[in-house]
Amino acid sequence: MDAIELVDLTKIFPGKKGARVKALDHLDLRVPQGEVFGFLGPNGAGKSTTIKILMGLIRPTQGQARLLGTPATLPQARLTTGYLPENPAFYDYLNASEYLTFIGQSFKLDTTTIAARSETILHRLSLWEARKRPIRSYSKGMVQRLGIAQVLVHQPEIYILDEPMSGLDPIGRALVKEIILELKAAGKCVFFSTHITSDVEAVCDRVGVILKGKLQTVQEVGTLMEKGITGYHIRHRMPGQEIFKESTIRPEELQVFMTNIFQSGEEVILLEPLRKNLEAFFLSIVSQGSSNDQ
Amino acid sequence: MIKIVGITFQGVLRDKVFHGILLVAGLFLFIPSASAFSMRQVPQLAITLSLSLTSFLLLLLAVFLGGTSLWKDVERRYTHSVLGGTPISRASYVLGKYSGVSLFVMATAFLLGVLSLAAIWFAAMAYPPDRPLLWLNILIAVFFDALKYVLLVAVAFLLSTVSTSFFLPIFGTIATFLAGSATQNVYDYLQTPQGEQLSAGVKAAALFFYYMLPNFSAFDLKANAIYSLPLDPGGLLLTFAYAAVYIAILLSSASLLFTRRELQ
Repeated sequence: MDAIELVDLTKIFPGKKGARVKALDHLDLRVPQGEVFGFLGPNGAGKSTTIKILMGLIRPTQGQARLLGTPATLPQARLTTGYLPENPAFYDYLNASEYLTFIGQSFKLDTTTIAARSETILHRLSLWEARKRPIRSYSKGMVQRLGIAQVLVHQPEIYILDEPMSGLDPIGRALVKEIILELKAAGKCVFFSTHITSDVEAVCDRVGVILKGKLQTVQEVGTLMEKGITGYHIRHRMPGQEIFKESTIRPEELQVFMTNIFQSGEEVILLEPLRKNLEAFFLSIVSQGSSNDQ
Repeated sequence: MIKIVGITFQGVLRDKVFHGILLVAGLFLFIPSASAFSMRQVPQLAITLSLSLTSFLLLLLAVFLGGTSLWKDVERRYTHSVLGGTPISRASYVLGKYSGVSLFVMATAFLLGVLSLAAIWFAAMAYPPDRPLLWLNILIAVFFDALKYVLLVAVAFLLSTVSTSFFLPIFGTIATFLAGSATQNVYDYLQTPQGEQLSAGVKAAALFFYYMLPNFSAFDLKANAIYSLPLDPGGLLLTFAYAAVYIAILLSSASLLFTRRELQ
């Protein structure tokens, strides 16, 4: 059974003067358990709409969304899911400890478990010192980290994160990536939306690109990165010499070039693949999508 | 749902609106001395002032807490984290929020009732009344007044479930309160010779509102408390049942509408 299943998902919002805005257009997607899936798209592409349908906040005009086989419209679908909304907001009169206790109780966790997990998570997310302060006094980054804490406290099977790195400093971003990789290692499914391609490169198994409500492509990130190699940059020198040479070659020349290097007795100091990064891939999809519309 | 009740109660306790209302409750201290200015029927005036002040404070609570509680959660997107991030259903959320606010209104009514009794007792000690005071009547009057506002909170919640701005929950609740307090008088007027001369359309409209809007005058037991008049247990039971059924209808509608609402 897939962790996330979107079948023919379509969402039409009523616009001004009777106009209809198609936010999602027959979206089909399956994400298995144990996979980290990056949902990439520019602003207004339909990422948050998809996630809101998955979390039962809005209803699809057509199609179905399921979480571990349970329709997303049912509250019990969220028993196995953790959700971080985009720009999260929490009862600002509570403090972090009170809020996590409330969340834990909502999932029927016992008091001891909630207290133990809250302590670990709050320490990990550097919120321990601020745990007794009202949330209204938190910075944007702290609120975002509390949102991540909410997602982790009940240890769900599926993690749906809408722009999880938003508002975080580099340390916070690195921490979130680390947490995502740990979840992946634990066999959990992580589905996160972003428009930052380097985040996808760092943690995702697969990436889906959505543009104007249509899923343009779904690719393995590893394959994509391999396909994107355009050449190699090599730094080499004769043994004992201080001056080195630099060469840039095409991928198909690598085998011959390396054989020649070793035959001549040179040593390789650096071998660096040159590749189009995910951003280039993403931009090509976006420009392709735009030109198809014209 | 219990968790939502607790969180709501906690939120109201820490709300600035409540703190402001608490300050106004300090006016109870002046009731005994203010009643003395009447020179006669001092305890009766003390009861009138106490019940009126209690009613006014409960009205403020019902309108501002009832009208903003759910609306604020949607507006500030707290609902996204809670309804998207937990298995709490929308109906449980509405009922939990409503129960939290109503519980708070009842708890405040109890507190104000105790303050009222103290103020009336001081006035009665200084100026003994001609007729014995019926303390139970005063407490029952406070309870039914609170019940009226619990019903008004249900109206505010119903309006909050469909509104994207606070205008409808706040002003709609105030309008419902004013109209609901007047419908009995309008109905009584329709039964008079002058009322019978009104056009059929006006009469039909008045009757429509009489039956559709909550009849708040049924909860007014001030006269029984002030003049120590006996209460009709059957009438009280009927009023209680009326409030229970009306609240059940309003909350069922509110839950249904909120379940269908898109939280964008």
